[in-house]
Amino acid sequence: MLISLNWIKKYVKIDIPDDELIKLIGARLVEVEEAIDETHKYDKIYAVKVVSAEKIPDTHLSLCKIDDGGKATDVVRDDDGLVQVMCGAPNVHADMMAVWVAPGAIVPTTYHDEEPFVIGMRKMLKKYDSYGMLSGADELGFSDIRAGIAELDPAVAKPGDNLAKLFDLNDIILDIENKSLTHRPDTFGILGFAREVAGILGQKFKTEDWYFRNEADFEINSNIKLGIEIDEKLCPRYTAIVLEPNGNKAPKYLTLQDTLLARSGMRPIDPIVDLTNILMLLSGQPLHAFDYDKFVAVGGSKNPKIIVRAGKDGEKLTLLDGKEIEMNSDDIVITSNNVPVALAGAMGGANTAIDENTKRIILESATFSLYNLRKTQMAHGIFSEAITRFTKGQPSGQTLPVALRFAEQALAIGYNPVALFDSQKTAPEAEKVELELAQLNGLLGTDFTAKQAQDILQNVEFAIETKGKKLIATVPFWRTDIHISEDLIEEVGRLSGYDNIAPVLPLHATSDPNEMFVLKTALRNHLSARGANEVLTYSFVHGDLLKKVNQNPENSYKIVNSISPDLQYIRQSIVPSLLDKSYANLRAGHEKFALFEMNQVYSRSAGLDDDGVPQNNYRLGFVLVSQDQKAGYYLAKKYVESLLDTFGIGYEIKPFIEAKDKTNAYFESKRSANIETSDGKLIGHVGEIKQRISRSFKLPINTAAFELDLRVILELQGVSAKDFSFSQFPSVARDLTLTLPLDCPVGEITAQIRAELAKRELIHRIECTSIYQADGAKTKNVSFHLSFARTDKTLEKSEIQDIMKALEKIK
Amino acid sequence: MPSISDLKAELKQLNAEYAKIKDMPAEKRADFGKELNVKKQKILQQIADVEAAAEDQEVLPLDITAPRDINADAPEFLTADFGSKHPLMTELDRVISIYQSMGFDIMESVQLDDEYHMFDSLNFAKGHPARDGYDTFRTEEGFIPPAHTSTMQNRVLKAHKHKLDEGNAIAVAVPGRTYRNEDVDATHEHTFYQCEGVYVSENCTLGNMLGILREFFEKYYGQKLNIKTQPGYFPFTEPSLEFLIEKPAALGGKGKGGDWLEMLGCGMIHPNVLRMAGIDPTKYQGFAWGGGIDRLVMLRYDLGDVRNFEAAKLDFLKEFAC
Repeated sequence: MLISLNWIKKYVKIDIPDDELIKLIGARLVEVEEAIDETHKYDKIYAVKVVSAEKIPDTHLSLCKIDDGGKATDVVRDDDGLVQVMCGAPNVHADMMAVWVAPGAIVPTTYHDEEPFVIGMRKMLKKYDSYGMLSGADELGFSDIRAGIAELDPAVAKPGDNLAKLFDLNDIILDIENKSLTHRPDTFGILGFAREVAGILGQKFKTEDWYFRNEADFEINSNIKLGIEIDEKLCPRYTAIVLEPNGNKAPKYLTLQDTLLARSGMRPIDPIVDLTNILMLLSGQPLHAFDYDKFVAVGGSKNPKIIVRAGKDGEKLTLLDGKEIEMNSDDIVITSNNVPVALAGAMGGANTAIDENTKRIILESATFSLYNLRKTQMAHGIFSEAITRFTKGQPSGQTLPVALRFAEQALAIGYNPVALFDSQKTAPEAEKVELELAQLNGLLGTDFTAKQAQDILQNVEFAIETKGKKLIATVPFWRTDIHISEDLIEEVGRLSGYDNIAPVLPLHATSDPNEMFVLKTALRNHLSARGANEVLTYSFVHGDLLKKVNQNPENSYKIVNSISPDLQYIRQSIVPSLLDKSYANLRAGHEKFALFEMNQVYSRSAGLDDDGVPQNNYRLGFVLVSQDQKAGYYLAKKYVESLLDTFGIGYEIKPFIEAKDKTNAYFESKRSANIETSDGKLIGHVGEIKQRISRSFKLPINTAAFELDLRVILELQGVSAKDFSFSQFPSVARDLTLTLPLDCPVGEITAQIRAELAKRELIHRIECTSIYQADGAKTKNVSFHLSFARTDKTLEKSEIQDIMKALEKIK
Repeated sequence: MPSISDLKAELKQLNAEYAKIKDMPAEKRADFGKELNVKKQKILQQIADVEAAAEDQEVLPLDITAPRDINADAPEFLTADFGSKHPLMTELDRVISIYQSMGFDIMESVQLDDEYHMFDSLNFAKGHPARDGYDTFRTEEGFIPPAHTSTMQNRVLKAHKHKLDEGNAIAVAVPGRTYRNEDVDATHEHTFYQCEGVYVSENCTLGNMLGILREFFEKYYGQKLNIKTQPGYFPFTEPSLEFLIEKPAALGGKGKGGDWLEMLGCGMIHPNVLRMAGIDPTKYQGFAWGGGIDRLVMLRYDLGDVRNFEAAKLDFLKEFAC
């Protein structure tokens, strides 16, 4: 939303510099995204009288002499002090008042360009000196339509007047973030915004009387019939005024109103539309004008009636912009005896549009359900200034006053009001909200007196009654956001400035660390210290990625409004995302690396939690990519084992089992393992990725991974503490090599050695130092380095021999 | 499972069928062609399945219990120098440890939530346009990858309500991953991290909120800071504010004033939000805030492109080697 500061200043006396005011608006009302400085945009642009305009034969140009009141410098004047300028506009004529952009001035439409266009003297048709330019409303930035040069009202403008002074154009335009004012429909009008500015400055605001007028002051022609039938849920109030031509012609001069529309981001269109728009910008109340006679004809009834109802699915309406829309039951539709004539809040229909033959008009001033209009906005993609205001919930209390204001101002543009219809018979009672002073100060940490609080609220037109330390506020009808005492507390705190509240640190207790975060931090340190790289990847993945890793897209929650197919499913595990990100790193020249990520994952098969939302799982995913030919499994397993050992978790390496929901189906079952506790609880999986899958990611076929359940790790953490026992007697070191069948699991042999040593109550260490298979052999030689010791005395030689003999028998 | 040669023969036969199309009556051609295509796709899929199974069959098993491969050296960890921690996670850890030192419990946000937690319990009226401001994603079932960590407020309040009964304050920080449906560019990500703060007691004030927030940022930047606020609007706080700090020296601030950084949104918790969590708003009051973590990291390291965070590019991550 664009707000002209000069327009605000018409309603509030401001005696601080603009930059301070803008800071205060930012601190006490709403964030100002940008303050657009236009204080010099119209420098050296003057009202001039065209003294003579002679057509130059065979060209579209006229040679003009203008009277600029002697203002411009850098020009050559004739004996009469006039300046020569060429003009190509067909409407240029002697004696008109026009707008002249003098040499040295910037053409306003280029004012914010990187290289603004500065006008000078041009030689035209090789012989005529032309100083500056006579300018159209479009070149001045007030219109999008090229329609000759702008004409000024001679009753208003004298030669040499600065255009900026004439229309108060040395302005600052505030660009306001609409979202921050979603709850404040009143601030979407200059009046409401100005009221807030007054409140911020500690001034008492007085809204102009017309805003409270609720009775027509014109003669009603009882022959004009128009019923109103509304569904109050969809349309709380509908006010209509019928107007007929009074013979006045709207003047065609460039006006202050045109410039205010432009400064608010709109454009002048025609006298009626301009008046509806300017009143909307002023009050926040959107208005719409129908052609009365067309309206009656469309309805085809002797008893014309405005019926506001829900749209019917499939019902069609051609809008003013020529587009035909198909309505749905969330739309609100204005009908003439049930024939649609407008999509409420959004746009009028072509069938009742005002045109050059229009005689009588109906002015609509109404409020609609913001919930429905929100859906209309989305369904039909209409984001006009009007619907933006309607979706904030404009108060019903202003429909009649604004309509009456229109009627009053329409006189000058050729219309007399002749009939008034209003769906509201009695005005709703004003809401009253109570506020205890102690609650105010207790919530903000302040020490306002009752009088101070009262003044702050009264400045923005709350009526305040005080009873001791209690304030009873009568809420003005435009403050649709005020219902409870906290709402008033916000007003007092905000208008007086939150920044005047002293920050005070409360005493605090100690807190317990969050174990999951402690664990994640420790895992992060552990893995990164072993050369792995922590990454983050999106929770959303492509359905093709799921299929590529043998997962079932049906088991993923699917996003219905995803940004792209790449982000359509919520991932079921971490490893696939890491596989997906690996090739780019390989290609970037990283030959051997490990990526890991700790995050939440979701799958439908996990069901819902106690809150009825999908059950999350905390996972650590790890992928190891290496260009060397070694089996990735063993290094991945080494990472898992070092991690589990460090965190004191007892585990067993068990044959891989593919999960029923296929979430782990990318592991090659012959080269992967389940990691389980001794009682069979699954901690996770480690293994190589199916070769086909690795290839599809352009990764080496020995690519390995693991994925661990962090909740299980948290639960098991420290349960099986490391054995720190040691012996004070010397330990014996021996090497042992066993010849074993190829398919004999080394882990089992290690377990047997361990059992043998444990049986003898020896403190021991076992390290597998080599697994060797000779070319073509059916067996393998497995070597171990052992060290062991007794805890009660030094081992004797015979004892050692005995032990080794027993160990050598293992198979 | 059918053999590959059978399937290939079948495919060949089927391909021959296509020749018949030209002899068919025009009106039957389309249906016939479609039928053939379906059959063909089915056979091609079968062939792929059989080939895949055959390939899997050829894969050699390994001894999952062994510490190393046959005839291979023992595996070695990657060089420690290669390792790195994700800067967002390191920063989040710092944020969390500061909140903890200030007496806050920590509770992580969920990554898939529902309308109730995301909006209803936060005093958003049903169907209110304010819901649109959050650009939420939705699943087919209507679940929502949360657009703010405030989605946890109701859970936090319920889970810590006992603290109030025990005469203590509720003080919880809630870090989490959040999502918004917006186009990605150098400064916008659809996936990002936030940290929420929730504080409730019998008599805490807006002044206390400003005190806590200033304290947090002073610890975070290791210096005294000037702060200011501007009004905001969130249905779940009343009053609602935006909190700003003057650019700290660590980020190149000159301490001359005028250079402000918007850090987070905050406010006094709306009585309806307390009520929805079973806390009596006539007895207790509180405040809450939420702000982005990504931006803190961008500012700290003077990073220009938020997209690096979720790109898993080693060239970027290794800048943050441990």
